[in-house]
Amino acid sequence: MRIELPEILETIRMTEVEHFDIRTVTMGINLKDCISDSLPRLKNNIYEKLMRTAAEHVATAEKVEAQYGISIANKRISVTPVALVGDGYYAEDFVEIAEVLDKAADNLGVDYLGGFSALVQKGFSKGDLSLIRAIPEALTSTRHVCASVNVATTKAGINMDAVYLMGKIIKQTAEKSADNDGIGCAKLVVFANAPEDNPFIAGAFHGVSEPDVVVNVGISGPGVILRAVKEARNADFPTLADHIRRMAFKITRAGEFVGRKVAELQNIPYGIVDISLAPTPMPGDSIADILKAMGLQDVGAPGTTAALALLNDAVKRGGLMASSHVGGMSGAFIPVSEDQGMISAARAGHITLEKMEAMTSVCSVGIDMVAVPGDTSAESIAGLIADECAIGVSNSKTTAVRVIPVPGKTVGEEADYGGLLGIAPIMPLSKIDNSHFIHRGGRIPAPVKGINN
Amino acid sequence: MSRLNEAEIRRIAELAVKQLEGQATAANVEKVVHEAVQRMSGEGAATAARHERMKNVPPHNQAKGQRIILTAFGANSIGILAGLTSELAALKCDIVDLSQKIMQDFFTIMILVDAGNSDVAYEQIRERMARVGESFNLKVIVQHEDIFKTMHRV
Repeated sequence: MRIELPEILETIRMTEVEHFDIRTVTMGINLKDCISDSLPRLKNNIYEKLMRTAAEHVATAEKVEAQYGISIANKRISVTPVALVGDGYYAEDFVEIAEVLDKAADNLGVDYLGGFSALVQKGFSKGDLSLIRAIPEALTSTRHVCASVNVATTKAGINMDAVYLMGKIIKQTAEKSADNDGIGCAKLVVFANAPEDNPFIAGAFHGVSEPDVVVNVGISGPGVILRAVKEARNADFPTLADHIRRMAFKITRAGEFVGRKVAELQNIPYGIVDISLAPTPMPGDSIADILKAMGLQDVGAPGTTAALALLNDAVKRGGLMASSHVGGMSGAFIPVSEDQGMISAARAGHITLEKMEAMTSVCSVGIDMVAVPGDTSAESIAGLIADECAIGVSNSKTTAVRVIPVPGKTVGEEADYGGLLGIAPIMPLSKIDNSHFIHRGGRIPAPVKGINN
Repeated sequence: MSRLNEAEIRRIAELAVKQLEGQATAANVEKVVHEAVQRMSGEGAATAARHERMKNVPPHNQAKGQRIILTAFGANSIGILAGLTSELAALKCDIVDLSQKIMQDFFTIMILVDAGNSDVAYEQIRERMARVGESFNLKVIVQHEDIFKTMHRV
């Protein structure tokens, strides 16, 4: 078992040069035991439970970072969908709950807290509606809280009332944070088939079937996969896939190891590793660059979807071999603003929303961190959500929309959000009218595929 | 006697109570406790012997989970190796393996260290080795061995 010098140097090159890190160690916390018929007591219960349970989370993660020399970019928390915990309360009460979550996240030192969420694929409870109506205000008055709404599943079909409502909520959220180019929408995602153990923001929440507390991990390593692709040079596809698979194995093992250590030191169960490749706006940390290294002039070229499918599958093969529990989203992310290569492709007009929609069918998240003109109608946004949901529901996979109608800006301009959120060039969205379709209301029936027993 | 811990004292008391069963006069208790202590010192001696044997076990087996890999790189200069290794010795870290290369005046070293006998915390080892690195203008990375095993071995 002697570790050879080249192996050690490879690990160090991965972490020091190629930005390999653990994107997030997310502690999932059940809040069902905080439910109360008194709002002050509910808020207090939530605050106390979070402070008690996650007291050591950040310190432990930092300790593991130091011990093994692998940096953990974000320490996060996910909670039980808040619509469940606060069912029966009004929208303004949910804003107060969001503020309590934010205060706890701030005091605990975590980067984000996900779970200001509702699962409404089949219909709304009173709490679901109140939470959704609270989203624009809640995301404006808090810094760390992230919201998500699941509007469709393969079993339930697509709740088009929720899809239309979310179109309107996204517009309102953008307008509330108009001074910052609608940044509130960067913390809001609309899902089909949302996974219950996703460690990634903005869609993380702690599913109802999860244990009381759990640690989930999300890896990040486009830089190292890029090297693997480059090293394959002009090899044929099986060889190319093999290079990616081997590298994915290494980064997943590191991710799982770090997650297990963080869980072990806090004496709580370890959940899953999410093998999504998460890019950052840093040069060399881009999914688009991987696709280009495979032989495309730019993303958006014919063949882009096939290249992404190959990448996604090869990463899964390596990841599944490396970990006993793979979960969450586990597919490549193609966010526009968070990926340098996607930013430049969007600026050049090489990548369009329509092409991204096609790419969604072979990776995990759909239209992610995409800025569209501020005058885009709620119906157009709802149509975009409905299309993504249709792909997810019909293919039994997760899809999501995180779109920002940037107030007062239009195609040709950009929104700069800074940090991991990056720069979003405003992309054109078709203005062909769909309002009659969107206004119909009701639920698009579950596909035949969903009836599989 | 001074080496008895709380659990052992409790065991002695339990033994005494069991043997006396209601006839606990001061003399009886003293006798029983004395016997119990004698018996347990015997056990203590066995433990000491086990520790003695462990001394001969190669240190990397004994200090399982305490192996650290130190990697350093930077421009070559005189005394780097001496500087790194003397600090490791001061930290009571045993060098198990070492591999060093100089490529075009660029110094690279990997040292596998057994820190099982060190009485200094990991964080401090890391900090002190980084400081030695700084004095030679080297980048020093200290990582637990397990991360390499995890990534490079099935």
